[in-house]
Amino acid sequence: MNTLVAVILGVIVVYLAYTQYARRIDRSIIQSDPKRATPATLYMDGVDFMPTNRNILFGYHFKSIAAAGPIIGAIVAAHLWGWLPALIWLVLGVSFIGWASDYSGIVISVRNEGNSLSATAHRLVSPRTRTILFVFIFFYLLLVAGAFVGIMATVLESQPRVQLGVIMLTAMGLLLGQMLYRWRTGLVGATVLTVGITLLAILTGPWTGDIFKAFNAGVNGLTANAPLVTYFDPTLAGFKGAEAKIMPSLLLWALGIAAFCYAGSVLPIWRMAQPVIYVGFWITAMAMVLGLGGAVLAPFVKPEVATFVIPAWKGWNAQLGPSGIMPLWPMLFVTIACGAISGWHALFGAVGTARQIENEADMLPVGGGSMFTEFLLGLLALLAVSVGSKGAPVGAFANGLGGFISVWGVPLQYAVSLAFAAFIVIVLVVTQLLFRVMKVTLTEWLGDVIPPMRNQHVASLISVALALLLMMTGTWIYLWQLFGGANQMMAALALLLVTVWLASVGKNWLYAGLPMIFMYITTAASILVTAYNIYYNVYQPNLAAGRTIPIVGSGLMVLVAILLVVAAAFIGYDGFRAFRKYLRQPAAAPKAAPARG
Amino acid sequence: MPTRGFADRFGAAWEAVRQFMYGLTGHEFARHAVEMRHEMEAVFMVVTMGDLIGVPVLPPIYSLRLLPYVVPEIATWKRHMVRRKEFWEKEEYDMHGV
Repeated sequence: MNTLVAVILGVIVVYLAYTQYARRIDRSIIQSDPKRATPATLYMDGVDFMPTNRNILFGYHFKSIAAAGPIIGAIVAAHLWGWLPALIWLVLGVSFIGWASDYSGIVISVRNEGNSLSATAHRLVSPRTRTILFVFIFFYLLLVAGAFVGIMATVLESQPRVQLGVIMLTAMGLLLGQMLYRWRTGLVGATVLTVGITLLAILTGPWTGDIFKAFNAGVNGLTANAPLVTYFDPTLAGFKGAEAKIMPSLLLWALGIAAFCYAGSVLPIWRMAQPVIYVGFWITAMAMVLGLGGAVLAPFVKPEVATFVIPAWKGWNAQLGPSGIMPLWPMLFVTIACGAISGWHALFGAVGTARQIENEADMLPVGGGSMFTEFLLGLLALLAVSVGSKGAPVGAFANGLGGFISVWGVPLQYAVSLAFAAFIVIVLVVTQLLFRVMKVTLTEWLGDVIPPMRNQHVASLISVALALLLMMTGTWIYLWQLFGGANQMMAALALLLVTVWLASVGKNWLYAGLPMIFMYITTAASILVTAYNIYYNVYQPNLAAGRTIPIVGSGLMVLVAILLVVAAAFIGYDGFRAFRKYLRQPAAAPKAAPARG
Repeated sequence: MPTRGFADRFGAAWEAVRQFMYGLTGHEFARHAVEMRHEMEAVFMVVTMGDLIGVPVLPPIYSLRLLPYVVPEIATWKRHMVRRKEFWEKEEYDMHGV
């Protein structure tokens, strides 16, 4: 197997699934009608509801959903079960479930006055569903944030070559916001300046790495190289488990990331979050485009970087830790998250994109098309990790992607620096946005009961502190899988809502209902398996050793897992009742009511 | 029906790519700039025409003098106001997904 074959296979799958399945559902079940008025045209206000060209919206939606998910999931899954099951799930997941969830999230909003999923759940299912959904979303985001902060702090601390790039990314993001919104500089000039400087800082990584290495050593010298926290990490020593240490330098970088995310959460979005994401997008896009092109050309130009070196198959139940279980079902289906299916896409698509849909015929190319494009991103990550086996999962990915980029003549050390930076950047910019959404969710959920939660600093600090506590467990793979379970569960809940809606309007609900049942059962099972693993692999060993912080962190993770399953059970029960009710008697068309976000 | 020539097809494809790139890059900034302007306008409307939604504001004579200039915005403004729990809330447009 080489990379060219995998890319060709991916493109063929995307083409067939889109033309033979997705279009058929769009035509025969949803019956998208170009003449029907959409919320964007009905309620056009030039701000929130704004009819937008489909090509523009495709780019906008793709950028909004493409993040770290498709990359990290593929990396971890390939290391646990081999590249073949990861590739099969990516292909089947996106073809039968992923596009349906993304597309339907937009459809349900367009056909329901542009309402968000939670507002539609309030109307179609039950009022309490909206509140439970907030609880679910907050903890789901907390898991993502904890996993991402942990991954980034580890990579930043162990890879001094990317540290200058990340610092410059932040500075350039702030400068870009100032240039665009205050100095009113043109976008092209501002982009060239800020992205150029950031790229330069990243490419100088191999030279500046030694300076930051010395800096880390100096920080660790404060405690005479004694660790701040010692804990048992089942993912170390080739997934057999070993003692891990949180050194002062790791904590410092974690706190730096926390400060960055806090600022991104409380500052006006134009000041930091948006421009930092924009600069980061260019860095990542550059690495991905060069990488994908390199993966295609590599078999002809540089075959040594195009051959799969990790095993195709590693077994049904990968070993992770001394007493954990990692069965392919259900764990593979949540480890590979956004490249196959994602709940976040439906959440965002239901409002951010749906309120800009100009014409119902655009719903499939924008929603489904973006998901299929994201699948290609997941495929690239899988290829990169499959050819670059050196080091831990993230290191293998960076080495593989660096190899692809080097096909274009970029020296390997710079290419690997760019690949590491691309990984860190995409995770970092997503994480700051997560805290922003967590702040809003916490305020919506608890603001009326606990008034201080309405204060954005309080809500942001609580979110950041909880994420840091989760990070202290050190087992980011479990955090990732818990997040994957919650994220895919979110997609299942979105599909549940779509199923209820389809039943309520008397349409065939099978295309959403069957994937929903599969994802609902799979994700609930995966969350319970992860809770079991955390309890036996992290909580118990650390309890025996009397280590407070890992005990609290892993205990919190188990509680969050149980809470997620309970919340999903409530929503599932309410959804099933509503579904049965609508099957007996379809609902009347919704009254024209103002959209409430 | 005449078939499209290569130049037309290439032009259409190029235009689609250009629009896609704009969607990837500039669209978000353009939207946000519009949102910022809209927030300013909402404040202006509340200060001058707040009595239309029950907020006691300027003496009506000044509102009446401004009325012709704001008539096109009134429907949109009211729609936005009824979506808020309180009229002074600031909208987090990007967070509507939750």
